[in-house]
Parts: sequence; structure tokens; C-alpha cells
Amino acid sequence: MSADASDLSLVRRVQRGDKGAFDALVLKYQHKLVKLVMRYVRNPAEAEDIAQEAFIKAYRALPQFRGDSAFYTWLYRIAINTAKNAVVSRDRSPIEYDLDRNNSEESYDMQGRMKDSETPEGLVLTDEIRSTVNAAIDALPEDLRTAIVLRELEGLSYEEIAAAMDCPVGTVRSRIFRAREAIDRRLREVFEGGLGRAEELG
Amino acid sequence: MNEELDSQLSAMFDNELPTAECELLARRLSRDEQLQARWGRYAIVGAVIRAERGVRLNAQVARRVSVVLRSEPALAGPAATGVTRVRNGMRWWQPLAGAAVAAGVAAVSILWLRTEAPSGTPSTVRLTPAVLQGGAQMHVRNGGAQSDSYVVPRPPTQPRPALVPSTELANYVVAHSMFSTPVARRNLLSAFMTSEPAASGTEEPQNNAQSTAQ
Repeated sequence: MSADASDLSLVRRVQRGDKGAFDALVLKYQHKLVKLVMRYVRNPAEAEDIAQEAFIKAYRALPQFRGDSAFYTWLYRIAINTAKNAVVSRDRSPIEYDLDRNNSEESYDMQGRMKDSETPEGLVLTDEIRSTVNAAIDALPEDLRTAIVLRELEGLSYEEIAAAMDCPVGTVRSRIFRAREAIDRRLREVFEGGLGRAEELG
Repeated sequence: MNEELDSQLSAMFDNELPTAECELLARRLSRDEQLQARWGRYAIVGAVIRAERGVRLNAQVARRVSVVLRSEPALAGPAATGVTRVRNGMRWWQPLAGAAVAAGVAAVSILWLRTEAPSGTPSTVRLTPAVLQGGAQMHVRNGGAQSDSYVVPRPPTQPRPALVPSTELANYVVAHSMFSTPVARRNLLSAFMTSEPAASGTEEPQNNAQSTAQ
């Protein structure tokens, strides 16, 4: 098993014309990429725009991706370059948004997106997701919580977690899965439950 | 959704699923919306655990990218695998191309040697594809009636300076070899060769021969 096997399987599917596989890659990495871009721009909406652009660039460049490096490493480089270019271009035209706001239909869309993304509802929803997940993690048995935290926070491999927790790799896999399932049950209630905003969640 | 599948999905999310299983699950993941939604929630769980402040968990990036890409052409399957195909094609052609180049070089070499050989009449050579590939100059006779043959160009009227000593010189050297040392013969031969274009001649050798005979 290679360290990047699952990403590579999805990448190969995209290269064969399967756009759905690219959706899965975007879902997996969108938060990481936005977080990365936010080192360059402070505005979350702008960071999302840049991340979106980076994903689209990556899609178009995917035929040239040969798998010499991990997919995320490759995507990371594209995102960094896109962010740097965006910052340079923004610095060159600091009043771009003001001009666009009055003249261009495209910028009207962007303006609308920026507005929507900063609505109180959006902020509340994010807070609700965060508190739900945190509460679910707190409620996990110790061994499940340790396994998922070592994986997600420390980025350890299953083998490393097995060594740290002194248990077989299969047990680690099972613990991480059960932790995710427990959290996901609570999270689904937020997505599908009373809020009625499931379609808003990417 | 069965538990085994979910367990596989979780391991795949962590890049910890064996490659063969990844292939199968990737195919299903790209088509199954429920599975994708779960996959997306796994990503959210990770973002919360990493406490990615400032990142909005209801970000629309995935949806927006998906909408944009809907109008994009699919990556012609094959775009990436096309590279491999071309490479495979190259591999198949490489021996043939190599053989053709070698044949071309050989043909050109033969032609060159024949033009260098003393011959008063042009010689007709059967034209082969290898010769054609070698880029030999071609002269078609009879308006193409014998289009598969060509004529080796006649040597120019003026004799070209050649490294091969003339027959007279060779005869001279052989005839007088008994009376001269090897060093003297070699010097004589060198002298002839350097003076060949102007001389092509016989005067100097004769003079030298006399002196040598003496």
C-alpha cells in the first residue's frame, strides 16, 4: 500500500474522465486548502475564492500529474502559487472591488457570495458544527478519542498510532472508524435535522 | 450502508486502504452521493479536531468547483493515459525506426563508396525503401517508367583528388621496391600523394625513380 494510494486512485479516475472522483478530492481537501490560503489572505471569503481557483487549475493540470509526488503536495504548490498571484494582483489594483461592484455582473456574483458567506446564519451554522463535533469527541471512549486525535491532529499513520497505543494496526483502523461513526451520527443530525440547511453544507 | 464499506471508507480517507480496495471504492465513491456526503463529513471532523480557526465549515468550495467543472470537458480519459499510450507506441516503433535508420546509413555508405570507386559508367541500382529513407539523391528515368531505380551520378569530368595512389604510382613503387628501403618508399609515396593533384602525373615519380635507382 502506498502512502497516497487512495488519492491516486481518485486521481486516476479523474484522468480517465470521471469528474465525480474530483468532487471527492475537493471534499477531502477544501478545508485544508482554505486554511493554507488564509496564510496569505485574511478574508475567509477571498481564501475560498482562491482555493476554488486552485482546485480548478489543478483539475485542468491533472493530465500532467504523474504521481511522482503525493496529490496533496502537488495541490498545495498550486494553491500557494495561486494565492501569491492573487495577492500580487490585488495589490496592483486595490480598488478593483469597488469598480467591479458598479460595473460587472461577475463581480456582482462575487459580491453576493461574500455577503452570503458572512451572514449570521452561516456563522451560527459553523459554530454549531464545531460544537457538535467537539461534544461528540468528548463523549468518545478514551481509546477511540486518542486514536482519532492522533490521526487527525498529529497526522500519524495507522502503524505509528499502533506503536503509540501498543495495539495491532487493525485495531487502530477499527477505533478510528468507530470514532468517526460516533461523531458522524451527531453531525448528521445537524445536517439533516431541524436546521433544514443540509444543502448548504459542502 | 454496511459497516465494512464504512470502515473501508474511513481507511481510504486516511490513505490506509490497500491499493486494490482503493480502486473499487474510488469507483463507488465517485458515483454514490451518500458516500460522498459521509466522506465530506469526515473532512469536517478532521477540520474541527485540527481547530482550523477561520475556516468556515459550511464552505461552498466543493459545490462551486463542481458547478464550474460541470461546464468543463471531461479529461478525455485518456489525457493522462495518452502519454502512456504514446510511450508504448514509441516502444513498438523504436526497433523498426532504428532498423530503418541503420539501413539508410548503410545504403548511403554503399552509394558513397561506389561513387568513389573508379568507374566510367553510371551504375543502376535497385531502389529500396531503405535507400529512399536514407535520403539518396534520385534520378528517375523515362518519366517514371522505371521509377523504382535510380542512377548513381557519374563522377565529375575533372578527376577529384583521391587518397588512392594512381596505378602508375603503384606500379612504380612495386617495380622499384627491391632497390629502395621501406623508409625511402614511404617517403616517396608521401611525396607523390601530396603532389598528386597537380601532378596526377608521372614526371616527378620518374625523376625520383631515376635518383632512387641510382
